[in-house]
Amino acid sequence: MTNSKITLPAAAMIAIAATWSAPSFATPVSSDIVTEVAVETSAANVIQSMADEAITELTDQSLAEDVRRKKFVALMDRYFAMDVVSRFVLGRYWRSISKDEIDEFAVLLQNYLALNYANQFKEFNGEQFVVGNETQKNKDTFVNSQFVRPDGPPVNIVWRMRVFDDSYKVIDVSIEGLSMGITQRDEFTSVIQQNNDDVSALTSALKAKTGL
Amino acid sequence: MRYVIALPYRKLISNVFWFSAPKTFRVGEVCVSNIGWPKIMKFRALLSLCAAGSLSLLTACASTEPAQDMSDYDPIEPVNRVVHGVNGAVDFMVLYPAAMWYRDIAPEPVKTSVKSFVRNINEPLNSLNALLQGDPEQAAASFQRFIMNSTIGLLGFNDVATDFGIPYRREDFGQTLAHYGFSGGPYIVLPLIGPSNLRDTIGLGVDYAANPLTWGAENSDTAEALYLGSIGLSALHYRYATINQLNELQKSSIDYYAALRSLYRQQRNTQIRNGAPASISAVEDESASFDFDDAVEAASE
Repeated sequence: MTNSKITLPAAAMIAIAATWSAPSFATPVSSDIVTEVAVETSAANVIQSMADEAITELTDQSLAEDVRRKKFVALMDRYFAMDVVSRFVLGRYWRSISKDEIDEFAVLLQNYLALNYANQFKEFNGEQFVVGNETQKNKDTFVNSQFVRPDGPPVNIVWRMRVFDDSYKVIDVSIEGLSMGITQRDEFTSVIQQNNDDVSALTSALKAKTGL
Repeated sequence: MRYVIALPYRKLISNVFWFSAPKTFRVGEVCVSNIGWPKIMKFRALLSLCAAGSLSLLTACASTEPAQDMSDYDPIEPVNRVVHGVNGAVDFMVLYPAAMWYRDIAPEPVKTSVKSFVRNINEPLNSLNALLQGDPEQAAASFQRFIMNSTIGLLGFNDVATDFGIPYRREDFGQTLAHYGFSGGPYIVLPLIGPSNLRDTIGLGVDYAANPLTWGAENSDTAEALYLGSIGLSALHYRYATINQLNELQKSSIDYYAALRSLYRQQRNTQIRNGAPASISAVEDESASFDFDDAVEAASE
């Protein structure tokens, strides 16, 4: 108990060292799904390269807001399984709309998320993003990471990843135990429910928010 | 007022004991039934003895999985939305401006001291609830924190215990109930307090009755002033601590009420499992109707 202050960072450091020095050992624990396909890089490495890209591309102070948002959307396209995420946040309602409507919704969702999160990178100053170990739970790999701030305790972020076409894609992000996917799903399905199960009420609200 | 709050306390304590260990139930019941309600102070003292005495039995039977709520259950949503709206209006007029003022005016050391103080005042309850959850180690840690911070920490205004490597952990009676398998029940937005559920509302009542400071407030004006002051400072601190996130959420969300409801549920789940990662079974049935597997299947169709 008393040592946890020391052991936690120590464990994180060991995990990081292991991931960096010996990438071959960092491949996830065998599971039916994962062993079938040859995955080129480990889930933790994917998160590391995503973070590196985000920091180089999005933290530039001089960037115009809409450019930053576009870059954020492009980054999500590369690292997130957006077709899965957009269906997940619609809950059971994804069935009640057509394929075209889902595609339209996915674009709206990305822009909505960019609107909410892209400007967070603008205030990036002195913080560090540290990728930790990964754990396997059934089909998914959970990559632990920490956002270390100079003022205040570190923020724990867990990336939920799954293999699609031989590479890891993010399907959910949890910040301090709060899943963004689940929160968004609960909110969106409530909006649809409040409007007599009409999905278009949600899409028009998203259009109003994003200005698309 | 006292008796109104104390009544569910008794019922609840016996329920918990019944739920986990029938033997303990009898011990608890004898204590309760032999004492007249007017002798409330004596009852309390005996109750704490019973709680401590039956701890070994409680821990022996604590085999149930802690409760994790996987979906929002909100049968009184229309009422809750009204209370949510009123709370928002009151907050906007009173607490929000106070917290904004506090954020902008108060220097950082003052904020740190206030945070330590409101945490420290809660430490006896953290300790008691850790004990009730069958975690004597954590109970001792919270108690140690309370003694250290109240003395060399100068009435709790300095968190020296954290510097000594004893981290803070909040435990309340809602979490204790969850530890023994009680799920949250219907979502309730409490007037002034905000998001809660049936289990945590009962927990609030029990914690109120069990708080040594509320006992003291009955007999001493100093304790009463300390108690009321701590409530005021807690409200200010917790509103300040969440001000940026809530502003952000209010601005970005389409249904602020629903977003808060979901976040409250998830946050309680995290607190109940003491920050540990969710178990595989919890990850599996995070939604009864639609999960990530269904979404993957749907996307590949």
